[in-house]
Amino acid sequence: MVWISSRWKILAMVAPALILFTLFVVYPVAYSLGFSFTKFRGFGNPDFIGFDNYGALGQDPFFWRALQNTLIILVVGVVVLVPGSFALALLLRRKVAGAGLLRALVFGPAIIAPILVGLIWVFILDPKIGLLNRFLGFAGLPSVQWIGGDTLTPYAVALVFIWSSIGFAMTIFYAGRQLLPHDVMEASELDGATGFQQLRYVTIPMMRETFAIVTILMITNVFKIFELVYMLTGGGPVHRSETLVSYMYFTTFTNQKYGLGMALAVIITVLGAVVSIAYLALSRERKAS
Amino acid sequence: MPERIEHYRATRFEESVAAPRKARPRRRPFALVAGAVAYLVTFLIILPILWIALLSFQPSGNILGNPFSLSQLTLDNYVKVIGSLPLLRMYGNTMLIAIVSVTIGTAVSFMSAFALTRMTFRRRKVQSSLRFYLLAGLAVPVYILLFPVYRLDLAFGVFGTYAALILPYIAVSIPFNTLLLTGFLREFPTELEEAAIIDGAGLARLCWTVVLPLMRPVIATILIFNVVYVFNEFPFASILINNPDMVTVSLAVSRFQGQYTVDYGGMMAAATLVLLPQLVIYAVFQKQVIAGMTVGAVKG
Repeated sequence: MVWISSRWKILAMVAPALILFTLFVVYPVAYSLGFSFTKFRGFGNPDFIGFDNYGALGQDPFFWRALQNTLIILVVGVVVLVPGSFALALLLRRKVAGAGLLRALVFGPAIIAPILVGLIWVFILDPKIGLLNRFLGFAGLPSVQWIGGDTLTPYAVALVFIWSSIGFAMTIFYAGRQLLPHDVMEASELDGATGFQQLRYVTIPMMRETFAIVTILMITNVFKIFELVYMLTGGGPVHRSETLVSYMYFTTFTNQKYGLGMALAVIITVLGAVVSIAYLALSRERKAS
Repeated sequence: MPERIEHYRATRFEESVAAPRKARPRRRPFALVAGAVAYLVTFLIILPILWIALLSFQPSGNILGNPFSLSQLTLDNYVKVIGSLPLLRMYGNTMLIAIVSVTIGTAVSFMSAFALTRMTFRRRKVQSSLRFYLLAGLAVPVYILLFPVYRLDLAFGVFGTYAALILPYIAVSIPFNTLLLTGFLREFPTELEEAAIIDGAGLARLCWTVVLPLMRPVIATILIFNVVYVFNEFPFASILINNPDMVTVSLAVSRFQGQYTVDYGGMMAAATLVLLPQLVIYAVFQKQVIAGMTVGAVKG
């Protein structure tokens, strides 16, 4: 609409968002990237050291441990969450009494702050006071060190991540399933498809987009996991349970190795993007073939 | 003609009644199992919340010894905690930050979205690339911004004020707001706005009295999404706030473990007190909250 589009009017409308976004999002990304090539301890001038920070991370066992933990959470989380929340969405679509209430309750954890989620789960997973070991005790089984041990923590974090995301993922699947045209479903029923055949050959193929959305969302969310680890173990003992982000937070703000921390932040960002894009490309390819 | 419709209706009616009747006996056991599974899964999902609620009413001795006992429930933990937990201040701070940042964030996003979809730029290319520039922010994860924003706040002299948090919260909300707002405006016809301009409305009047009211549903979604984000945000708050009087809800919760070291009952009472207002709001606005939080996923 040309009548309201004088040059200064356009400028006045666009400038506030543009300035704030550039200053507090775009500039910081460039800043982090730049600092990842320097050695900087918070005062004086940063020294340019090229790719040394990236090299140092490559030789840092804690970094590899954090990467391994993050990948464990990624695999366990996505493998359980995507089919699990899909099944739950189908289940809650059926004429179960109170299905609406059940959907609201299942979504509930998604509104709880991650930091509070972490605190709540300390009281489920803690080896001494946690609910889980109480149940094991009732069943006459020995206690398990869910968190704070050497191996189980990433699986426990994956469990908490699943808990906090399943309702959210279920809701997206539910909405996607509602969008499927009735006539197609009816046609497949008339053709005598069994419930399973309908699911396998009609519902799932038609919901491919929704599967892609949920999977990508869950992947990007795994690469953001921080508060859960912060509350459950603080990354310990001796960095054994860090995720990439929690280790980045430690390196940057506790250890004050800013350059190294920024290199780590850049790696996480790139990794998250690469895994999401790879998944997208793979699912496209499968669709094409 | 009418008879035909009648006939059609009748057969449709018979079908719709007859079909389930035939199918039901076969499906009944399965439906029962499915219902039971749905209830069981839901129960497992809310179990952790029930557990901390139960612990918050247990006397300290029971938490370690006999946490399932229902005979000695007490309000002691709450009485203890209410004195030491600055609940009002936590919520007050968080609400202040949320209201200011979400209001400004929505306003500036709306202004730029309007300009990027409705106003005529000399060069079209500039318009579309500016929109793409703002949308590119969707790919930026927040944690890469933490340290640079901390330095920026120091440089601007806003560190230690509410603005230290408000500014980045506004900025990180812009990409998502732009996605929803420009998406809506692009699909929405411009006739009404053109009519208003012919009637002599200026830019401000046009936006305020014509466009904004039309966009109420999208604006509501944006408000809910961003308020939930600000309420739950922790990484920025943990770095940019060092004044105990300015703690947000998330920040206060992160300190419970140190604050109530072995007073588990107190910790659970505090956690329950923090959770309760959020659950009440969620219960009231359940539909809107779910829609607001998931729309980005479905749209994006």
